[in-house]
Order: sequence, then C-alpha cells, then structure tokens
Amino acid sequence: MQYVRDLKALDRRSLPLVGGKNASLGEMIKAGIRVPPGFAVTTDAYVQFISQTGIRETLSKVLGDVNVEDVSSLDAASRSLQDLIQQTPWIPDVREAIQEGYDRLCRECGVDAVPVAVRSSATAEDLPTASFAGQQDTYLWVQGGGQVAHHVRRCWASLFTSRAIAYRVRNRFPHEKVFISVGVQKMVNSKAAGVMFTLNPTDGDPSKVVIEGSWGLGETVVSGSVNPDRFVVDKVILEAGVKDISAKHIECVFDPKQGRVVNADVEPERQCRCCLEDREIKELVKIAKYIERHYGKPMDIEWAIDKDMAFPENVFIVQARPETVWSRKQAKSVIGAKSGYQLLMEQAMKRIKIP
Amino acid sequence: MAQEKTGRFPDPHEFQVPPELEGWEEMYPSHHLFSKDRAQWEKEQFWYQDKIHAPDPLPPLDLIFQEAWQIALSQYTTRVFCIPPAQGIAQRLMGCYLYICAIAPPAPEIIQEKAGHFEKRVFYVFEHYDELWDKWLSKFKTLGKEMEAVRIPEELPKFVPDDEVLPAPTGCYVSYDLIAAFDTLVNQMFKGWQYHFEMLNLTYLAYLMFADVARKLFPGISESAIGKMVAGAYVSMFRPEEELCRLARLATSLRGVAEVLKGDGTVQEKTAALEKTPDGRQWLEEYEKAKDPWFYVSCGSGWFHYEGSWLTEPEIPYGYIKGYVERLEKGETIERSLDDIEKQRDAIVSEYRGLIKTDEDRKAFDDAFNTIRTIYRYAEDHLFWVEHWFHTIWFEKIRQLGSLLVKYDMLEAVDDIYMFNRYEIPELLTELATWWALGENIPHRGTYYKDKVKKRKKILEAARQWNPTPALGVPPEEVAEPFTIMLWGITTDKVKEWLKGVDTTAAGDMNEIKGFASSAGVAEGPARVLKLLKDIGDLKPGEVLVCPSTNPSWAPVFTQIKAAVTDIGGLTSHAAIVCREYGVPSVTGTGVSTSIIKTGDIIRVDGDTGVVTIVKRAS
Repeated sequence: MQYVRDLKALDRRSLPLVGGKNASLGEMIKAGIRVPPGFAVTTDAYVQFISQTGIRETLSKVLGDVNVEDVSSLDAASRSLQDLIQQTPWIPDVREAIQEGYDRLCRECGVDAVPVAVRSSATAEDLPTASFAGQQDTYLWVQGGGQVAHHVRRCWASLFTSRAIAYRVRNRFPHEKVFISVGVQKMVNSKAAGVMFTLNPTDGDPSKVVIEGSWGLGETVVSGSVNPDRFVVDKVILEAGVKDISAKHIECVFDPKQGRVVNADVEPERQCRCCLEDREIKELVKIAKYIERHYGKPMDIEWAIDKDMAFPENVFIVQARPETVWSRKQAKSVIGAKSGYQLLMEQAMKRIKIP
Repeated sequence: MAQEKTGRFPDPHEFQVPPELEGWEEMYPSHHLFSKDRAQWEKEQFWYQDKIHAPDPLPPLDLIFQEAWQIALSQYTTRVFCIPPAQGIAQRLMGCYLYICAIAPPAPEIIQEKAGHFEKRVFYVFEHYDELWDKWLSKFKTLGKEMEAVRIPEELPKFVPDDEVLPAPTGCYVSYDLIAAFDTLVNQMFKGWQYHFEMLNLTYLAYLMFADVARKLFPGISESAIGKMVAGAYVSMFRPEEELCRLARLATSLRGVAEVLKGDGTVQEKTAALEKTPDGRQWLEEYEKAKDPWFYVSCGSGWFHYEGSWLTEPEIPYGYIKGYVERLEKGETIERSLDDIEKQRDAIVSEYRGLIKTDEDRKAFDDAFNTIRTIYRYAEDHLFWVEHWFHTIWFEKIRQLGSLLVKYDMLEAVDDIYMFNRYEIPELLTELATWWALGENIPHRGTYYKDKVKKRKKILEAARQWNPTPALGVPPEEVAEPFTIMLWGITTDKVKEWLKGVDTTAAGDMNEIKGFASSAGVAEGPARVLKLLKDIGDLKPGEVLVCPSTNPSWAPVFTQIKAAVTDIGGLTSHAAIVCREYGVPSVTGTGVSTSIIKTGDIIRVDGDTGVVTIVKRAS
C-alpha cells in the first residue's frame, strides 16, 4: 500500500489512486510544466483509515439511511459523519506516511515547516461530465506535519458535507465508489494569481486565452470576491486585445500575526495597477497553449506568480482541468459548406446601413 | 440623436472657415464645392476628411488625382462590377481640405439588377486573376511610358525650324503641341486612374469576405491578425528599399565606393567622385538600373507635387544608403528575409486553421483564404505603379510645362503651375500660344497670373495653419460601407471618438486617444508630430511618430522610431503593415492624434489595445 506519492511520480493514469487534481498536477509535471512540488495522500490512505478503524460500516449505514430531501436529516447525517472522520484516532501507518511526505517536501524546498496548500482531490471530481468544482475543501498556508495531517482529515470529511452527499445522490454516484485523495503542495507566495481559459468563455472563441488575475493568492479570483483584471490574448499572434484593469480592493495573503491567510485591503495606489507584466501575460499564454495541446482539449487553469523568484521561473501552474461548458457543446460548423465564391457573393450582397 | 447639436458635425452649409481662407473656393471646379442647388442632399450625408488621399490642403492642380479616383472608384462599384448594394464615394472641398462621403444603397430593384451582373463579371476576374494581372501590369507600364514620351516644348522658337515647313509644312506647330500636350497628359492621368481601380474594389470585397469568415470562426479575432494572414512579402512597395539594401551591399564589396557614400558631401559631389573610378562607375550604373521604376517612389504619398520623389530628391536614397553601408560595416543584417516573412505568415494561417473544429469550416476557411490570396497582391502592388511611378512621371511632365511658363514670364516659379486647376491651365497655355503666335512686342497677362499665385499660396498657407473639422454633416447610426471601413478605417466608434475631439474645445483635456490596435506591443517615448511629410528630417531616433498617415518611402524611418500613431489608416494602411514588419507598436486611425498630441509630449502607445495615452505634456 502506498499512502503518499510524490506528484512527480503521477500522471493521468494515476486518477483512481490520487484523484483528478493530483493526477493532473503529476501529468503536467511530466509534461515539463512548472508546478509547485508536493505529494498526494492516496485514496489507499483514506480507504485504509476507514477500514482499519472500522468506521466504514458506520459511514455506509448512515448514508444508506439518509433522505436527501429532508434537510435536517441530511445535515445531521453530515455532521455526524464529518465528526466521525475527524475524531477517530489515526492509524499510525498513515499518519507516519503523511509526516514523511511532508518532511521530504520540506527538505526538497530547503525550508523547515514549508507552507503548503492542502486540497482534496476526489476520484469523481474534475471529470468533464460532473463539475464538482468547489465541493471539496482547500486549506492554505498550512505548516508542520501535525497541521498537514489535521487538514488531510478535514478534506476527507469534506466528502460528507450535506451538499456533497446530496449531489452524489441526485447524480447517482454511489457513495462507496467515490474515494478521496488529498494533495499537499508547496504554497506559491504569490504576487498575483488567478485563472485562465484556453478559449474565450464568453463566446467560445478558440483562438483566445482569457486570463483573470488579481493581487495575492488566487482564492479571491476563484471565489469571486474581487473583480479581477482581465486579459483576452490571441493565441496565434499573442496580442492582448483586451486589458481590463479593475480596482482590486482586497488580496488574499498570509498574515504571520494571525498565522493564516486573510483578505487584506490593497492600498489605493495599487488597486488599479495591472497585476501582470506584459512578459508574464505572454508566458502564461504560452503555458496555456502548451497545456491545451498536451490534453488535446480546452482547459481551465489556475496559475500563480511567485513574489520572490525571478521571471520566468516564478510562473506556476497550480491546477488544470478540462473546460466543461463549451467542450460539451457539439462541434457544429459555423459557416457551413460554402465555396469561396458563395462567400464572396454573400459579402457583396450585404446591406449597407447608412440612415 | 443625430439631430442633437452635440451628436453631429457642423452642417456643411453653415460651416465657416477662418477668414484668412477668404476666396478659397475659386481655386477649385464647381462640382467639388458644397452648393445651394445640391444642399438638401449634401446636408443629409456624412462627410469626413479624407486624410488618406489629402491630409494637406489641396493645391488646385493636385486635385486632378482626386477627381480621377472619384469617378474610377465609384464606377467600378456602381456600373462595372456592380457590387449590388454599394454606391460610389462622393467628394467635396471645405477650406481646401477634401471631404468624402459613402453614398447610401440604391433602390432594391437596382440592387437585384446589379447582383446579376456582379455574379457574371466578378467570378471571371477571380478565376483569371493571374493572367489579368500580367495584362494589367504590361498595359499600365505602356501607359506610363506613353506619358513619359509626351513631348513638352522646351521653348517657343522665334521661327519654326525649316524641317517643319520644308519640303512640306507639318501643318501644326509648337502652339498646338503646347495645348495638346497638357490635354494628353490629363487624359492619360484619367486613364491611369481608371486602370487603378480595375481590380481594387474586388480585392477589398474579398478581404472583407475573408475577414468575415475569420470572425465567424474566431469571434474575437483582431484586424491585425487578419491582416497578418493576408499580407504578402513579395510586394512592389518594398522593392525601393530592397534596391537600397542591394546597392549598399554592392558598395561595400567594391573598392572605395563605401567611403564616398559615407562621406558628408552632396549627391553631386558623391557622383562626381564615383565617376572617377571604375568601381564607382560600376556602382553608379547599378544605381541607374534600379532607378526606373523603383526610385520613382514618392517621398510622400504620391498625392502632392511638393513631396518630391527619390528621383528629384536623391539626397533621400543616398542618405538611406549611407546608413545601410554603416550598418553593414558594423556587421548588421540590413535586409529583411522575405522568405521568412512568407513562412511566418503561413505559420500564422496554419495555426488558426488548426483551431477550427469541423471539416466543413476548415474547407470554407481554405476557400475564403485562397480567394483573398489570389487577388490580394493587387492591393499591395498597384499602389507603387499608380501613386508612385505614374504620378512621378506626371509631376516631371507638369514641371516641364511650368518651366516653359516661367521662361516666358507667365509664372515666377516652376511649381507655381500647381496653383491652377486642370481647367485653368489650358487657359494659361492658350494665352502663351497666342502671345507667341501674335508676333513681337505683344503684352500678356503674366502679372494677373502671378498675382493669383501669390493670393492662392497665402490661402493654402492659412489652410495649413488651420485645423479642419474631422467631419461635416450627420454621422450615420452605423458605418458599414466596406471600403470606408477598410481603406479609411472609419467605424461607428471612430466617429464617436471624433465627436469627442470636436466637443473638446481645449485639446489639453484629452489624455487618451483610441484607434486601431494595428501592430502589437507597448512603447513609450517623446512624440514627434509630423503634419507635413517634408518635415520627416526633424524626426530623431527613439521618438514616437505621430502623423496623418505614412507611406512607403518612409520605410527606413521605421527602424528609428519607438512606435507610430496615425490619424487615419484602416486595415491595409501602410503604417500598420510596416510597423508589424518591423515589430514596432502602432495605433492607426485615431482621427485626432495630430491635433491633440504635441511634439515633445511623452506618450504611451499600446498596440495591443489601440490606446494612446499622453503620459506627460511637454512643458
């Protein structure tokens, strides 16, 4: 049994073991894309935990009895299952494996107690046909083996939020077939971060990369708590036809006093400054094109730009998943079978509107 | 909306030009003036200043090119190829500046009728384009040679020579030649302009068709991306510069030639020095070979007599050659690899093509692309042959006539002939012929003409100092006339920008100007506003060029500037093409830049978004 796996050892075939997000990160690392180092706590670790501790039976019994249409019963079941996951004592093998994984990462990064992001990576998540986005949890700036282990369990527990349970029931995913893995990845101390799409989500234009970004960690963009800067860049000639700069009033940053990430106010003079340099935009587009080509389909990508490192080594991809909206639409011809002459005739016949 | 005072440009019939321009109308023919008898129609149209063809006030004789294209462009659309809903483009003058208007579509039954002709006539052209182009070029070259061959008398002899009388009188003499020569030149000019539009309207149509296909496939694709897919590298307009590179390279391989060319002497001193050595003579010989046709390129747009050409201003090509020689000696490459440009273009096209999802769309894209590529060369090539080569020949001939008028005291300076329009010149020539025919001691009206020249020059100078309104009349709800958008870069947004400029009485208030993002990249630097083409010498390396529009003989300048901004320029504008070639950011078609930006202002040009920002005003 392997309870933790280095991200570098993963690829897309690892999905059953490490879930979609982790598999995707491994796949990207293999493809030479700059992804922060980290490791996955495998589904085996989760399975081993619920089996050896004997809570597996309790889980399936409670889930079997729950009526998702009854909110209070659903909430009660959710609470009890989440408590069960978090309060049942660790089994030593798994706990040690997580500690070892974390220690190794600290050594690799050359930092004691390296801050990490702990994210759930469900085996049914991120599939193009089931957008689970946001249903599992992410914990930022976690430090120390004990804290990492604690948050791994919180991620496990997130499988049993009321929403997650109800979603699975409604979409007929059997509970016992959804396993969870957790990704533990070095935090990018980001100056700016955000998301990007390898097509224009507004009109489906496949020749564009659309980047949204804001100051600090990407959570403000992902959660929609700021109006991000928005760039629409042509994939071929690489010009940014749209550069919408917004007033970015808050940023998600680590607060050493509180020991956690907080949404801090952005000083007024920085709010309306563009959060990306031109060369960073170009680099992101280059990476986006590469990722899309690698996966052979439109992608939805999370990125971050490190504060302390030098360009271009500071440009990181922290997540990539298939774009779900436009890809689901069947590719239909927009012009139809027309010859050049037919097209010319149509053009010539166009009415000219001058009142 | 259009009726509101702020939402429209001045009514051409109420518009007042500055008092210093008093009497400007008499320089031009009646059909080019706003007139009471056509007032109703004129008031309803939208007239915008044509900065492509006439960025400067029009000297009366230079109006001939405008007269010629008004007929030629319009007739191909309305009566020859019959582009169904399109009509012609009308011209008017206001305070010596040219304003044009795209006329609204005709009645539906006319559109229907035209569609039939269009189908029959146009597809033929596309199918036979290559042979048609060969025919076009050879007939155009013939026409140019014919114009060159028109004999302008150098003098009016005291007595006609014997051989014109004996053994049998030729029957007509220098007086006839004089009058006939000008008529012939005018006819040839009109013919040349009829040829000019032979395939141009169709080229634009094909371009718009391809642009439309590209926009359907890639909704957000930019004009510059479309331009990059279509543009070719082997274009006549680039030849003059290539010839300079070739001559510079040759100079460095010959003995002692580069040294002479690098010197500070005048062109005359340099040629004299080169004449003295065999290598020098060999180089001069090559220079002569390149001259016709390639150095017939205008120093400006080709539309104004005072711009000169590389033929009349050899300091310009010699200056460029000097620069190239110096760069070669530093080990730099001066030539652009045309093959690379072609390859880059093909790579861009295939990358976009690779993004298309269905086979049907891919086929339509291929078809549309092949159609535009078939004919697009015309858009790129005709320009050199007509506006440059042919116009330069015309200017040479007109100057010969001017010299004759100076010789017999009808005018003070050769170029004063341009102060008369093409209907007035026969009057001058007839008077000269009459004066000669009448015999000895006959007075002529030289003083009258000279005074006229003085007055007109003053008016034109005043017009030059004046900042004309970008438009007159009622702006349309939507500007959709294809040639208007493509050639002049006029869009609804543009008109709105102009209205902003018109409303802003103090130009100092406006710090951001929008235009076409025509060449990618961002650059910041001091502005050099060049309203007149002849002031190009003022430009210093590292400045941002701000001008009404650019033209091919400026090509070597693009290696010196940080960015370029133009008032007018659509998809095929020279500045847009050349800036992309050189990787210099540019924003074209801003409408108001030359009036709002001042030389020395620090400006930022964002060629990605089409925004020009005045960062700091010059103090």
